Amino acid sequence: MARTRSPARLVVALGVAAALAVFLLYTSLAGGGTPQLQPGDLRGRTGTVQLTGRVVGPVRGDAYAGGLRFRLRDIAGPASVPVVYTGTVPDLFRAGRHILIEGQLRDGVFVAKPGSMITKCPSKYRPASQGAGS
Amino acid sequence: MAELGRAALVVCLGLSAYALLAGVLAARHGRRRLALSARNAVVASFLAALVASGVLLAALLGRDFSNSYVASYTSTKLPFQYTVSAFWGGQEGSLLFWLLVLTGYSAFAVLLNRRHEDVIAWTVPVLAAVQLFFSLLLVAVASPFATQPPPLEGRGLNPSLQNPYMAAHPPFLYLGFVGLTVPFAFAVGALLARRGDELWIVLTRRWTLAAWTFLGVGQLLGAKWAYEEIGWGGYYGWDPVENAALMPWLAATAYLHSVMVQEKKGMLKVWNVSLVTLAFALSLFGTFLTRSGVVNSIHSFTQSSIGSWFLGFIVLVVVFSIGLILRRLPLLRARTRLESPVSREAAFLYNNLLLVALTLTILWGVVFPLVSEAARGEAVTVGRPYYNFFLRVFGLPLLLLMGLGPLVAWRRASLRSLARALAWPGAAAIATGALLVALGAGSYVPGLVAYTFSAFVLASIAVEVVKGTQARRAVSGAGWGQALVELVGRNRRRYGGYVVHAAVVLLAIGVASSSGYQTVREGRLRPGQSLAVGGYELRYQGLTRRWVENRREDRVLVAASRDGKEVALLRPGKNRYPVEAFFSTEVAIRTDWLTGEDLYVVADQIDADGTVYLKVFVMPLVSLIWLSGAVFVAGSLLAMWPDRREARRLAQRYVQPGALARA
Repeated sequence: MARTRSPARLVVALGVAAALAVFLLYTSLAGGGTPQLQPGDLRGRTGTVQLTGRVVGPVRGDAYAGGLRFRLRDIAGPASVPVVYTGTVPDLFRAGRHILIEGQLRDGVFVAKPGSMITKCPSKYRPASQGAGS
Repeated sequence: MAELGRAALVVCLGLSAYALLAGVLAARHGRRRLALSARNAVVASFLAALVASGVLLAALLGRDFSNSYVASYTSTKLPFQYTVSAFWGGQEGSLLFWLLVLTGYSAFAVLLNRRHEDVIAWTVPVLAAVQLFFSLLLVAVASPFATQPPPLEGRGLNPSLQNPYMAAHPPFLYLGFVGLTVPFAFAVGALLARRGDELWIVLTRRWTLAAWTFLGVGQLLGAKWAYEEIGWGGYYGWDPVENAALMPWLAATAYLHSVMVQEKKGMLKVWNVSLVTLAFALSLFGTFLTRSGVVNSIHSFTQSSIGSWFLGFIVLVVVFSIGLILRRLPLLRARTRLESPVSREAAFLYNNLLLVALTLTILWGVVFPLVSEAARGEAVTVGRPYYNFFLRVFGLPLLLLMGLGPLVAWRRASLRSLARALAWPGAAAIATGALLVALGAGSYVPGLVAYTFSAFVLASIAVEVVKGTQARRAVSGAGWGQALVELVGRNRRRYGGYVVHAAVVLLAIGVASSSGYQTVREGRLRPGQSLAVGGYELRYQGLTRRWVENRREDRVLVAASRDGKEVALLRPGKNRYPVEAFFSTEVAIRTDWLTGEDLYVVADQIDADGTVYLKVFVMPLVSLIWLSGAVFVAGSLLAMWPDRREARRLAQRYVQPGALARA
């Protein structure tokens, strides 16, 4: 491909370089992201993490006063952790559901950031216990 | 009946396989009758998909619970319109819907373009291959026609999907996702047919535009649904599944711009084929994301086996396309070169780089949990700050470029003429910025920048329209109104594009205002108590309860007043669906049509003793986001509208196959 160099290539190369630079700048300033863990991986972790798990009852307390208290268990496993949560409770929240919350461990209790709860909403929103088609 | 549906799918599978094999044979050996037969097989596969879809629709409407799919997504109490939308409410049905749209598009695309035999001969097998994949999934992995002993009652449709916007959102997305198959198939078909010209772009311009419009509208419908139904006071959460639709849309946006450079200058050929492949692969990836549950998301549908199938197909598509592009590189030489970094071509190129950079950073954010899990053994997610950062870094320059691009001349623009063209829009932008700073908008800098750039874009569009109308008047001597109509009618694509630009500006203003300048307050109220938010006074009056169709509605009566005058009685609350054993929060929204401001009230909790916990948002100019949707559609339609003059010109250009390739 013997061709004279086109400025288009230069522009593309510069553009890619600039994008990479911005990217590196961002990752160095804001750090990585939030680790995604399950209760079993939580021991000894201090920083903010995103916790995934299955809600285990009883669910007590008031999310809008003092906090909602329940346990979160590994999706497949026995490890669990007590959780205190304040803020908006999604409609799908219930014992047995899989949820995501962000927060950190304090004195053995996972304190969630207010309003950070996300419930997983499968389109087939009940566990497929009956003979499903697929 | 289920047998008929299954049989129709098997027939569709067989026809697609035949069209693929016969199509490749016919195209390789130039056998016209065989090519015709392959093309007819594609058309027939549409009929087979229609039959299968008709069977599923009949089963849904007849509430035939012996069909597992029907029993899983409907109930006897489900209202009619949501029984229809249950068609695409679940995995198997949505795959069937995908196949129906795909075969429909394929049939019409090959029939409408049958004159261009050499390209169509190779496009048919490409389309057939994609059809083969989807019909194989439906026959072997996720059949919507599985049967079971009928239960007395179905499980019902997820109540949060029982919303008009959510009923319409998936079909629009699919019409968009699937629509991107057509330009991809023509691009690959043209390359396989060894054509290096722009014919495939010209043939699929309207298809791409339509797919892109559907995708854009689908996303706005989804945003509106999230805003009204999820009740967190937002419309876009950078959720992987939302990003799944945004990425192909951004890639298609880049493509729609860069093809103009190829049509006009014969440049960026490799880039365009790569972009159309990227857009198609991202639309498959989007389906994979929504359907596989590999990434944590509020939408993660039940983990299913089709994820690996999709991943395999995506890899196949990407590897095949890259290999083909590499083999055809000599055909894809540019006719001309970029002459100056200050030219229309260059502006398009910058626009493309920014759009692709934005697409790829979003893609990186979506797959980051998977990448980090593979690399470090721990999934790490990037959140909203990551996406917001890159939206500003790449999005704001894009906004600026939208105003600059149309003012820059093709080939080579002199800085002096550029400065002259920039005078008015620049002055308008500076004046707007100064005025907004004086009004106190400086509290949110990205918003201020977005407003200033928006003013610049609108002013530059206005300058273009005025200049064009003046020139038209000078030629035809018509009045202002008629000159404008003539101008737009003769350059539909260009002015349609400007209208779409205006829509993007409205969207940018709406997003910047409602996210950067919103007021939020929450509190627990007893009857008679009130809450003051952003100039409104909300008084909690009491509770109501009633039964409607399949649900019980509890409502909190809230009287909203402003400056001592009552402006609205709002009814936020919760619905209970006994069949589905499910609650849903219903927000109340009061839109001020004059100022575009929304008062958005959520009853987060209703206690047995009659106290309620309210969350209230005041969101300025949020209505512009929905308005932008209407403007967007109008602009796209304008750009798509059939143009006889253009058709004649193109017919002359492409009537002898290969004439241009030799030139």
